[in-house]
Amino acid sequence: MTCLPTQPAAASRGPKSESTTVNAGAATGLRLAGVQTLALTRRSVVSEWRQLGNVIPGIVFPLLLAAVYTHQFTRVILLPGFPVVDSFLDFVLPASLVQSVSFGATEAGTELARDIENGFFDRLRASPCMRLPLLLGRLGGAVVVATAKGVLIIAIFLLFGTKIAGGLAAAVVLVAAAVLLVIAIGGLGQVLAILTGSQEAVNATFPLVFTSIFMSSAFFPTNLMSGWFREVAEANPVTWIIDPVRRLILEGWSWSDVGQALAVPLVISVVTVAMAVIALNRKLSSS
Amino acid sequence: MGGNTGSRFSDDVVIEASGLKRTFGEVVAVEGIDLAVTRGEVFGFLGPNGAGKSTTVRMLTTLLRPTGGTARIDGHDVQKSASAVRRIIGVALQDASIDPLMTGTELMRLQAVLHGISRSESRNRGSELLARVGLAGAAGRRVATYSGGMRRRLDLALSLVHEPSILFLDEPSAGLDPTSRVALWEEVRRLNSELGTTVFLTTQYLEEADELAGRIAIIDHGRLVREGSPADLKSTVGSPTLRVDVDPVFLESARHVLIGFGPERPAREGRCAIGLDGGAGRVAEVVRALDDAGVTVSHLELDLPSLDDVFADATGRRLEGAEK
Ligand SMILES: Nc1ncnc2c1ncn2[C@@H]1O[C@H](COP(=O)(O)OP(=O)(O)O)[C@@H](O)[C@H]1O
Ligand SMILES: [Mg+2]
Repeated sequence: MTCLPTQPAAASRGPKSESTTVNAGAATGLRLAGVQTLALTRRSVVSEWRQLGNVIPGIVFPLLLAAVYTHQFTRVILLPGFPVVDSFLDFVLPASLVQSVSFGATEAGTELARDIENGFFDRLRASPCMRLPLLLGRLGGAVVVATAKGVLIIAIFLLFGTKIAGGLAAAVVLVAAAVLLVIAIGGLGQVLAILTGSQEAVNATFPLVFTSIFMSSAFFPTNLMSGWFREVAEANPVTWIIDPVRRLILEGWSWSDVGQALAVPLVISVVTVAMAVIALNRKLSSS
Repeated sequence: MGGNTGSRFSDDVVIEASGLKRTFGEVVAVEGIDLAVTRGEVFGFLGPNGAGKSTTVRMLTTLLRPTGGTARIDGHDVQKSASAVRRIIGVALQDASIDPLMTGTELMRLQAVLHGISRSESRNRGSELLARVGLAGAAGRRVATYSGGMRRRLDLALSLVHEPSILFLDEPSAGLDPTSRVALWEEVRRLNSELGTTVFLTTQYLEEADELAGRIAIIDHGRLVREGSPADLKSTVGSPTLRVDVDPVFLESARHVLIGFGPERPAREGRCAIGLDGGAGRVAEVVRALDDAGVTVSHLELDLPSLDDVFADATGRRLEGAEK
């Protein structure tokens, strides 16, 4: 009823004021999307916090592995071609970091699948929540957890005598690269969550992530590998991230290494998150 | 309610569906439904399990794409203007669970923010609504610790956070104990009478439809089989039974008067019963006639046909007792 008197008024404002209205609408829309993303991020951080027990293996296991390898590989680091390091510990930091954040990196997908399975997602969908915040909000929790884990792992390594040649700035890049990797894996998890709506399906990707870390330069330099394993490791994006990160630790600051360390996971993130958005749009327009 | 639909300006129809249809592969869940729910109505959508109630609600609330037909909520097409629809409706879905790791307060705030309500405003509204549904004491607890009834009440509170003018409740009292059910009914009535909220409510409980709804549509196998006010529906399936208790000395004269109003029906000793032709409106007439005949009535009761009789008449099956 109320729209009848306002219609002529809106029409008389003409095309100029109409376009301002559109712009204002877009700005408000963007602001609302931001607010919604923040609110949903907060929710996923809260749920991560309340399942803190889930985080522990992702910290303990990589540290344990690093300790064992460091103890075992005191002679390995003397091999010709092995980077110059005081201890294997310095060499293994990027591996531990990546491994630590990869635990629970599929969380953004599993949690989304859980929301879809139990219907909470429909509750969100029936609200004026936009589509992108639905996905980004779930990634937010994983990002916060990954940041915390990254800082913790680096702090522990520093405590045990590791020196980061690139300094504090390099440490920040390390954490950022790890977080971007989490977004990349999380986006992939979300694609699976949307396609299958099943937590199990998303969880099934974890061994894949886990294996791909072992089949990279994480624990051994590729130049000392041979045969098909070396080919796999060199083609493995995890190697492309680990290598520049390691040079930042062992050799010092270099803009090209910083660029590579961040660009590789960033590109993968953009691709996987875009895939998730497309998958969601497809699913919603066909259901 | 819903009587003055002759108007050409049918802007009072806030939920409108025509030929609404949804198939899942071979399964036809909803088969061409027409609906017109007027502003301020409590509309009951009654049907057994699997009848197509949830599917209809999901289409009306933009969650599911119809495979045929159209639906409009307050003039907005559910497919073309989904976001406009989502702003004005409140939805409590049948099997939408609530994040068990969050507290009632946190969920209220999240829901408010998603609707673009400011922080301070959402805090007030959240606590007010939680108190209204009797969850003030549990507001700070995680939903994991809530009972089924508490979750349904939280569900209702969540659906109300943006003060929707149209509320969809899909089997709101499923699994509730009788006390919580009555409390829920009271809240729905209050929303409707105080705030003028239009309520679209699905149920498989006859009593619930009867208690709450001004108008009812009965759905079975995806089709609407009856529609109307509970009283009208009941009156279509036969005349109500009128039972009169009189002193034994008056029994014969009472019977003589009564059979003028309808066929006699079986009754226990000392009582006379008829099927009242013309329905409940004729009771006064009957009483006057008895009075004129000098019969003193000690007790009089009128038994309307139940909605179950209506359902049975429409489908050949009974709804009562078919519930799990
Ligand atoms: N997603 C779905 N896929 C396949 N069949 C479905 C789906 N949703 C509902 N149905 C079927 O549609 C019919 C109606 O279901 P529903 O609307 O849930 O009924 P009600 O809510 O009245 O119990 C049922 O036969 C049900 O099995
Ligand atoms: Mg249902």
